[in-house]
Amino acid sequence: MNDDDQLNPVRLWREWFVKSEKAWSQSLTDMMGDERFSKGMGRYMQEALHTHRMFSESMAQYLANLNLPSRQDILDLGDRLGQVEDALAAVQVELREVRTRLAQGVNVAPAATATQRPARTRRPPEQI
Amino acid sequence: MATRRAPASRPLVTPAISQEEIDRQVQRAVERTLARNIPGLRLPAPELDIEVGQTPKELVYARETLRLYHYRPLLDEIYRVPVLIIMSPVSRGYILDLAAGQSFVEYLVLQGYDVYMIDWVAPRREHAALGIEAFVCEMINEAMEHVAADCGESDLTVIGYCLGGLLACLHAALYPRSGLKNLVCFTTPVNADGMTLYKQWVNSKAFDIDRLVAELGIIPGEMINASIQALRPLQRRANQLQLLNNVDNDAFVKANLRFDRWAADQLALPGQFTREFVRDFLRGNQLMDGTFHVGDKAIDLGQIRLPFLHVAAEYDHIVPTAASRDLIGLVGSKDKQEIIIKGGHVSLVAGGNAVYRLWPQLDRWLSTRSV
Repeated sequence: MNDDDQLNPVRLWREWFVKSEKAWSQSLTDMMGDERFSKGMGRYMQEALHTHRMFSESMAQYLANLNLPSRQDILDLGDRLGQVEDALAAVQVELREVRTRLAQGVNVAPAATATQRPARTRRPPEQI
Repeated sequence: MATRRAPASRPLVTPAISQEEIDRQVQRAVERTLARNIPGLRLPAPELDIEVGQTPKELVYARETLRLYHYRPLLDEIYRVPVLIIMSPVSRGYILDLAAGQSFVEYLVLQGYDVYMIDWVAPRREHAALGIEAFVCEMINEAMEHVAADCGESDLTVIGYCLGGLLACLHAALYPRSGLKNLVCFTTPVNADGMTLYKQWVNSKAFDIDRLVAELGIIPGEMINASIQALRPLQRRANQLQLLNNVDNDAFVKANLRFDRWAADQLALPGQFTREFVRDFLRGNQLMDGTFHVGDKAIDLGQIRLPFLHVAAEYDHIVPTAASRDLIGLVGSKDKQEIIIKGGHVSLVAGGNAVYRLWPQLDRWLSTRSV
């Protein structure tokens, strides 16, 4: 960074904004903590939920007519993907258990060495 | 006499260069210039994708939204008592394992602790009915049993972060003889009166949590993120401007982008969990008067009688000290301590300040209680 950059007005404005951000944020937060704002936000949320439902229902029919996937179809797909991830997690857990059992056996497989555990005898430095 | 030869005249027409060649040369020149002058722009996005959560770990147990990981010990000798970190159900666990040298998990592993972590994944619609009881009495309880079975130790230290700390406290109060040896909570809310903005919002008659949950089932991460951003609306913009001012500092850019990515990566919450949290914790403030229930069991934090440490952040705007400072008085332990550290909700546990402030203090407290 050179001297010219230090005097760059845009940079100076950015530095001023960063320094005064907390105070500006606090003013906005105080405004949002107002009873009228809370009521307005609650009402807006109710209306948004209502609109969302109406729009979803009409859109689903429209998309079905066009033979296009709806939001519901995408959510179903997401759920299926989540179930596949769950199954993969279960396989990972099983694999780890198999490796642990192998490591405890007489013939230790090379891949199982990572599961061998260190001694649990460590003491805090001040007690040694 | 030597005669000088006249220089060969230059051809008037340069050889034809294809448009592709010109494009290629211009692109190379631009890339070279950028790489030389603006180091921050060298950062490729995929590099950032692989940089978080790099401490080697294995998945030990998974059910519903819970994932229990074990971090591979890196020392030959470790402390007897394992450590289980419980993350907040709305936050990704990689904030505690951002990058080598900035990882709380890596630090614990290198100090000789056997570290496990409960990390959460985004709930699906089938998880909408998971409430606080399912989190505490089923998922966390079973995870603790798996830790005991996996390491062969019945004693356990639990470290809970934010809402993870709240879940850890609820569990410790419900199961005082579960083998829990030490409990550490980072910036854990217990007094909803200290969370003034959230309290004001949910107390409004216009805010209908039942309708919200019935309509959405799962409360989207974007909505949770927006509610967190509202606590300090211009902070993200200020961070972006600060990034511009430090664009020639590679380390700053990387750290900033990692934090920014995590901050925007909030997890969704199951509807039932959100309903109970809003109704019983935020509106009712029931933990403070002892009427909070998990299932049909009343929670008395005075039942927590094990060594207890609470760490709060002085400038925390998400869980202000007003919301967390009562915890130390509510728990019934004789061996209890509270540390208030300069910093915010995240910089308390991650980032440059945490390396020098929180982590060594925690190690001093925990090491003597882990043998």
